[in-house]
Amino acid sequence: MPLLQYIRLIDIMARMSLRADASRFFLGYVWWILEPLLWVGVFYVVFVTIMGSREPDFLIFLATGKLMFVWFSKSVTQASNSIVGGKGLVGKINVPKTLFPMAIVQEGVYRQAAVFVTLGIILLSNGYTMTATWWYLVPLMIVNYVVILACAFLAACLVCLARDFAQLISLGMLFLLFTSGIFWDVRTLDPEKMKMVLDLNPMAFLLDAYRQIMMHNAAPDMFHLLTIGAGFGALLCIIVLFMRHRSQYLALRALTA
Amino acid sequence: MSEHKPIILELNEVSLSYHAGGKAFDHGMHHVLKDVSINLYESETLGIIGRNGVGKTTLLRVMAGILAPTKGRVKMEPGKSASLLTLGLGFKPDLSGRDNALLSAMLQGSTQKQAISFLDDIKDFSELGDSFNEPVKNYSAGMRSRLAFTTALMTHVDVLLIDEILSVGDAHFRGKALAAMQGRITGDQTVVFVSHMADQVEKMCDRVIWLEHGKVVAEGDAKEVTSAYTQSVALASKAAIEHQA
Repeated sequence: MPLLQYIRLIDIMARMSLRADASRFFLGYVWWILEPLLWVGVFYVVFVTIMGSREPDFLIFLATGKLMFVWFSKSVTQASNSIVGGKGLVGKINVPKTLFPMAIVQEGVYRQAAVFVTLGIILLSNGYTMTATWWYLVPLMIVNYVVILACAFLAACLVCLARDFAQLISLGMLFLLFTSGIFWDVRTLDPEKMKMVLDLNPMAFLLDAYRQIMMHNAAPDMFHLLTIGAGFGALLCIIVLFMRHRSQYLALRALTA
Repeated sequence: MSEHKPIILELNEVSLSYHAGGKAFDHGMHHVLKDVSINLYESETLGIIGRNGVGKTTLLRVMAGILAPTKGRVKMEPGKSASLLTLGLGFKPDLSGRDNALLSAMLQGSTQKQAISFLDDIKDFSELGDSFNEPVKNYSAGMRSRLAFTTALMTHVDVLLIDEILSVGDAHFRGKALAAMQGRITGDQTVVFVSHMADQVEKMCDRVIWLEHGKVVAEGDAKEVTSAYTQSVALASKAAIEHQA
């Protein structure tokens, strides 16, 4: 399939799915903004009203971590089921199998754009200012995107090979939710533990980098960021090669298992 | 006659087997196809006949390049496209008929512009009316098959692989679909037509292959092969009735 056709198909599949999704709800596209706002509302009730946290920044801290984490978790979870769920098309035409998770990730990009703007507005309306440091968001988001792609493709292949992986993936997401420093600050850990968490969990590093940039106007550790990008970039290349060479095998697994 | 035409698709001693199910303790292997050799000639209509579950759909999927054979070789003329026309599957249920038709056309290689230009014809021929813009999950089986058939008819592929699709839908649409198919068949469309219904196969096809337990039992003139098949089915059902009695 020519690259241009591939890109166009991904865009069309993503937009069709978003439209179909929006048409299922009475509030339609409003949910794109409403959902992140409701998350912040839930955090407010739990952490400020009930638990009485007096740190003024805590709500912003939670919102930044959670809303950027959702980009990863939603994309990967949905993509994991994409080839198996698309078996109608898989059984009909010999299509590149990367098309399925790719369209889901693209859908996530469009959704996250709305979420990110909402998050920006929350930050700016709470007295934070947009400075030149925010340019670091560009490489950060690119690396975040590569991480999502690699994990989404891997998850889609694994579930195709054995449905059991779907169970592990949702458990893995819960594990990451608690270990990536969304509800607690990695920087409050003692230095040794903090280094361990940031080194072992790329998600913790990425979320911390978002907060450093947007809340504290501090540049992230670029070497660490590029290392993550290179590592997941290599993983992505390997999975894409596998999916190209074993396209028919993946189809057989999707159709028969 | 067809022997003089160039071969468009060649299957050479193709076998396909796979491990059944996701259960780790089940060592059962499914042998779906066993040493099947078929030559498909350009612009012919080849019929494949056989009872349910003998590997007809799998054979079509191997022909379309969707599945790879475990053993043997499949050779498609370079640059030719094949698409499988099958019932039920093949749609994204949350999307409208229009979106599904657009997607199918583009996946088969049409540009977005071409695909959009097909849409009005697809809507008209399929007689879906306003339902064309509704999600496919709300469609009846007949509506789905009408959409699937029309989409494949309007978008051009070199080899059309048809899986049982003309056996559903109401009588009116079936007549229209058969006429449209006949139009394509007498043209230069290459068609592989799969069915368990002998009369349909005999009417549509030049040449017929009879498949039983993943093997080719007979191959040749449409009339001879279908009548042999009909006799065998009649004998089998007679034996089954006697066994019960």
